[in-house]
Amino acid sequence: MAVPSPSAPAVRTEGLGKRFGPTEAVVDLSLTVPPGEVFGFLGPNGAGKSTTIRLLLGLLRPTTGSAWVFDAPAGEVARAHRRLAYVPADVSLWPSLTGRECLDLLAGVGPGTDLAYRDQLLERFALDPDRRARTYSSGNRQKVALVAAFATRAPLLVLDEPTSGLDPLMEREFRACIAEAAERGQTVFLSSHQLAEVELACSRVGIIREGRLVEVTGLAELRRLRRAEVVADLSTPAPELQRLAALPGVSDLRWPTPVRLELSLTGPPGPVLRALADADVAHLEMREPSLEEIFLDYYGQGPA
Amino acid sequence: MTTRTPSRPAPAALPATSRSAGRAVTGAAVRQVRRGTAVVAAVCGGLTALVVVQYRGLDGAVGIGSLTALAENPAIRTLFGPPVALDDPGGFTVWRTGTVLAVLVGTWAALTATRLTRGEEEAGRWDLLLAGRLRLRSLVARTLVVVLAAAAVTGAAAGLGLLLAGAAGPGAAVFGGVLAGTGTVGAALGVLAAQLLPDRRSASGLAVAVLLGGLLARMVADGVPALGWLAWLTPFGLLGRAAPFATDRPAPLLVLALLAAVPAVLAVVLAGGRDLGGSRVAGRDRRTAHSRLLTSLPGLALHRTRRALGTWAAGLMAYFLLIGLLATAMTDFLRANPFFARLAAQAGFAQLGSVEGYVSALYALLAVPVGVFAAGRIAATAADEAAGRLALLYSLPVGRSRWAATEAATVAAASVVLAGAGGLATWIGTSWVGAGLGLGDALAGALGVLPVALLCLGAALAALGWAPAAVLPIGVLPAAGGYVLLVLGDTFGWPGAVRWFSPFAHLNAVPAEPVDVAGGLGMLAVAGVLALAGCLRYARRDLLG
Repeated sequence: MAVPSPSAPAVRTEGLGKRFGPTEAVVDLSLTVPPGEVFGFLGPNGAGKSTTIRLLLGLLRPTTGSAWVFDAPAGEVARAHRRLAYVPADVSLWPSLTGRECLDLLAGVGPGTDLAYRDQLLERFALDPDRRARTYSSGNRQKVALVAAFATRAPLLVLDEPTSGLDPLMEREFRACIAEAAERGQTVFLSSHQLAEVELACSRVGIIREGRLVEVTGLAELRRLRRAEVVADLSTPAPELQRLAALPGVSDLRWPTPVRLELSLTGPPGPVLRALADADVAHLEMREPSLEEIFLDYYGQGPA
Repeated sequence: MTTRTPSRPAPAALPATSRSAGRAVTGAAVRQVRRGTAVVAAVCGGLTALVVVQYRGLDGAVGIGSLTALAENPAIRTLFGPPVALDDPGGFTVWRTGTVLAVLVGTWAALTATRLTRGEEEAGRWDLLLAGRLRLRSLVARTLVVVLAAAAVTGAAAGLGLLLAGAAGPGAAVFGGVLAGTGTVGAALGVLAAQLLPDRRSASGLAVAVLLGGLLARMVADGVPALGWLAWLTPFGLLGRAAPFATDRPAPLLVLALLAAVPAVLAVVLAGGRDLGGSRVAGRDRRTAHSRLLTSLPGLALHRTRRALGTWAAGLMAYFLLIGLLATAMTDFLRANPFFARLAAQAGFAQLGSVEGYVSALYALLAVPVGVFAAGRIAATAADEAAGRLALLYSLPVGRSRWAATEAATVAAASVVLAGAGGLATWIGTSWVGAGLGLGDALAGALGVLPVALLCLGAALAALGWAPAAVLPIGVLPAAGGYVLLVLGDTFGWPGAVRWFSPFAHLNAVPAEPVDVAGGLGMLAVAGVLALAGCLRYARRDLLG
């Protein structure tokens, strides 16, 4: 087996495409993730995130293009999968096996597992491994897959919406594990539809929409993407607040009624709050826009 | 589903909504059974009609002396049920096809019942249904009614087949009623097992085991006069007691209805007081001792196969032990009654007069369960794939063809063990009655059917590659379809070119005849090509789930 060069990209796709009948699930996706990076793969439901990951794992065959894991073609799983660990979005286990039996199986068949670290992870994720898989909630099944994946210390972790079933405490533990993995130099390919999760963990993100990679950007640019929606209800009309439009970071000032204003805000909120302090504000709400809203803003058309 | 509460309550509309919720659930269940019902009904109607037509072709009446001898022979009674009204086309058809069709209809109904109840519940689809207006008990009751009705349709089809082929009306009605009753017993057992056990596979196993246990009970009842009353407790025994085309007794039909009603009522009652997803007999949810097999691919394959192998081996050994115990009674009888030996030869059972001929004829039957076992194991792999259980395994450095080959090798080895267990049980039985069959002959005959079972394995692997949704039906085709093809071909004197397509045409009656080496190797080669092509295609196609 050829040893991959240390500089080989952890993930590389060229013109990757997958068509299911008339549906184009992934179109012409070219992406490179260098080793050691924590890469966020963002997109709304049905955008093609899981399909891309399944193509990367060789579970699906691409209609066009190719994918490589550390320069090993994705289809050659015996080579490519020596250097990765995977957590699916929806973890299914054999119902009659216990959690420990599932973990032993994955460790025994997989490319190698740090058993001491695995025991530590079981503690941290508060998972009872002696229960049969059929008694596990979806969150607990996800924990089994997460423990198995982190314990391999594989150079590449492919995580497909791994926190969808976890509670906030476990999400925090998950983020700590990601940070430890990044410190050890592992590459993380994290798919998610939650901006906040990606923002906390990742150094670079790719955004996929309707099967197409529409943006690959660093975290600083992501913060620019991140704007707040401000809604203020006034007790009395305050025409002088028109000047809000001139403040830095404010865009798209709207007046649905004379006593309600809405605006989009990027950057620190201080100037807007100072301006509002002079008016008679009855109710103030600041809300992060959903990923979908950002997409609508940036790409100017509704989702399919 | 139409079980949403309307946002603005309209009191007059509520009863209508509730009714349509029930109707929608019933409709969904009907959609899930209709294709299978149509296939089983066509087999029942078609086979009975064919055999009636075949009997007319025999052209010779069965002598009354032969008839009496046949009825009194314990071996005949044990294997095929009490032969009555053999001088009537309908009566002969019931004797020839009754047990086979009853097993088919009962097993199919039981498997359908567990699929529609525990299977749907396990997949989480009932969570959605029960979020609406319906309660668990009424959902179980409605599904039960649909499966009972489907089972009744198949019985009616068999009766109709007899009628259309010209058999007598009352006899056709009684036989149709017994088959429908057997199906409803299977369906009720399936729904009951689904309330008792937490997963579909074990519920199916329990229901089918109880049903086929009834077949063994019938064999004991007909073979041991003191235990004759056992026949009243099993659908297969009641088939003989109802005696279609002879006495056409209605009382056994009433008992059969009772046999179906008890588990049906029990199932609905038990459904009322349990949690969704829970079961009456809860397995242990925790287990600290863990299997040491589960650290490698072959270990996993072995772990997945061993329980199924144990269950199948126990059932087959019980059956073939009985076959062995009957050896001398059967061979003595056939030597004394050449007419029946001729009849048996026409049905594909040649040389029944010697113990070797007798066991080799029954070993041909062994190919069917071993083939079904092999195809069933590959079907379980396909089901794991559809449920997404293989995604984690395939994220390891495990090629799909490697896993499929590991599974196939394990299943092939298990098939050898299963066939060997059948041979061993036969030998134990024949030794017990001193029939003079050597252990080597007993094992050689049983293992001789393996090419057919491995052909099933090959077909199932090909289906895994090209048609993963139909692994079981395609996989059992070489054994079950081939057997029917050969029997029909022999009966109607079809040309050799047609018979050639049946794998059984390439098996010799071992140990009565030497092994057909060329035929066996040919089948193994076909099985190997199918398996190889299936594994390669499996590795190249998209993974489901």
